[in-house]
Amino acid sequence: MTKAVVAQNLVKDYHGVPVVKNLSFEIELGECFGILGPNGAGKSTIMKMIYGHTLPTTGDLFVLGLNTRTDIKQIRSKIGVVPQDDGLDVDFNALENLKIFAGYHKIPSDVAEARANHLITEMKLNDHKYRHVETLSGGMKRRLTVARSLINQPDLLVLDEPTTGLDPQSRLWIWNYFENLKAQKKTMILTTHYMEEAERLCDRIAIVDQGIILDCDSPQKLIEKHIGSDVIEINVGRESSYWKSKLNSLKISFQDYDNKLFAFFSDQNARQQFITQLQNIHFVSRVANLNDVFLKLAGYDMRGDA
Amino acid sequence: MMYLVAIGFGLGRFVEQIENLSFIEFYYPGLLASTAMMVSYFESTYPNYTKLVYQKTFSTMLLTPLTPNQILAGEILWGATKGFIGVCGVIFVSLFFGLFKIQILLALPILFLLCLVFSSFGLIMTATAKNYDSFIFSTSGLIIPMSLISGTYFSLQNSPVLVKGLAQILPLTHAVSLTRTILYRKLEWIDLMSVVVLLFYFLIFIYFARKVFQRKLIS
Repeated sequence: MTKAVVAQNLVKDYHGVPVVKNLSFEIELGECFGILGPNGAGKSTIMKMIYGHTLPTTGDLFVLGLNTRTDIKQIRSKIGVVPQDDGLDVDFNALENLKIFAGYHKIPSDVAEARANHLITEMKLNDHKYRHVETLSGGMKRRLTVARSLINQPDLLVLDEPTTGLDPQSRLWIWNYFENLKAQKKTMILTTHYMEEAERLCDRIAIVDQGIILDCDSPQKLIEKHIGSDVIEINVGRESSYWKSKLNSLKISFQDYDNKLFAFFSDQNARQQFITQLQNIHFVSRVANLNDVFLKLAGYDMRGDA
Repeated sequence: MMYLVAIGFGLGRFVEQIENLSFIEFYYPGLLASTAMMVSYFESTYPNYTKLVYQKTFSTMLLTPLTPNQILAGEILWGATKGFIGVCGVIFVSLFFGLFKIQILLALPILFLLCLVFSSFGLIMTATAKNYDSFIFSTSGLIIPMSLISGTYFSLQNSPVLVKGLAQILPLTHAVSLTRTILYRKLEWIDLMSVVVLLFYFLIFIYFARKVFQRKLIS
């Protein structure tokens, strides 16, 4: 088999407004690929193009070697999708939801029954399998949606913000579950707003904003490349310009946010040296993380639309 | 049943004969056809709009190898089936009013075709609706007036040319007159025209339903 996903010069316009602008990327089989971006960056549009709910305006998108324009039926039979909206059928109970979905996949009913029960057990939903989905908690619904995405034993999992709106316990449980899938070399594409999630799960991450990829690499490399190893957050208050010129003269890179400065250091020695110069000012010293990369690349401004 | 009693007996008492039939006999085919239309239309609009927009049922189905056309076909068939169940209900009630005739069996395919026509029409409205209020336009603007002027309650034979002409282009008129002919009169070749009109509407509606449904689900 070839690649999991190949995007070539993808463009998507909605009524003349470009949402995705000339994207090209490749996702290998067995890889967990993350797409990060602020609201309205084009993440969901990319995902929808992968499972064919949106067609590219121009450019081509191949999933598991098949063209999304012409072979979407075949593609959908080989992928599992956890969409942002659970889309569970409220007329049925948890188990029936899985079996009906299996039916859409033309999975024979005895196989479907076995798989559905197995997945229900795996998702710790055994006590709730005869409950109508409306009565399930958000976390249970999400787990059921994950179970549904696995019913056709997909070669590729497409996860669009799978943990948004969940409590920390549910989120942790789902992360662990995905880590197990990852250990089994399941190919996954994930969008998320949780940097911790992306850092934990993804082999490579594309940071997307305004329809373009700002950078794409492993979480560790992204951090090293854009931030370094350590960060000091300095509460500069009104003395912002003084500290900025100071950092500039010391050739330390930084980001400016309101009355704070984030100073980036390539190693601990450099950080230590700088700390000695910090007197009578409140600061926090910590290890660099993906959040720093994200904010540096995508900027600190809040986005209007979702 | 309420209609049969209220209109058929209540109002019908004041009408002696209409097209050589008692009023309730005259009205019965009209009730069958308008029931088919109403039930199919309502079943394929409101519940489907909920599934389309709020429950995302159709989007979820499209995560599988199912196609928009398959989903559409399923919903049209279901809407029509529900309408047909309504028709069967009216026939059942009519047993108590001495209206049952064996010829009704011949009218059933026509009534089912009518159900298909309005179920596909309902799905066009569903796929183009902006919100639930949008259905007011097709309900008050088309469905209700159609149920009134399609020869359901009064004879079109003595009506003004304008009404007659308008009624002739409406699908319900053809279903009503065909059912009435099947029940009480001798079928003639000209009646085939009504079947053609119903089929024509069905095909046109299917054509547009496919277009708008596809556009709504895949952008």
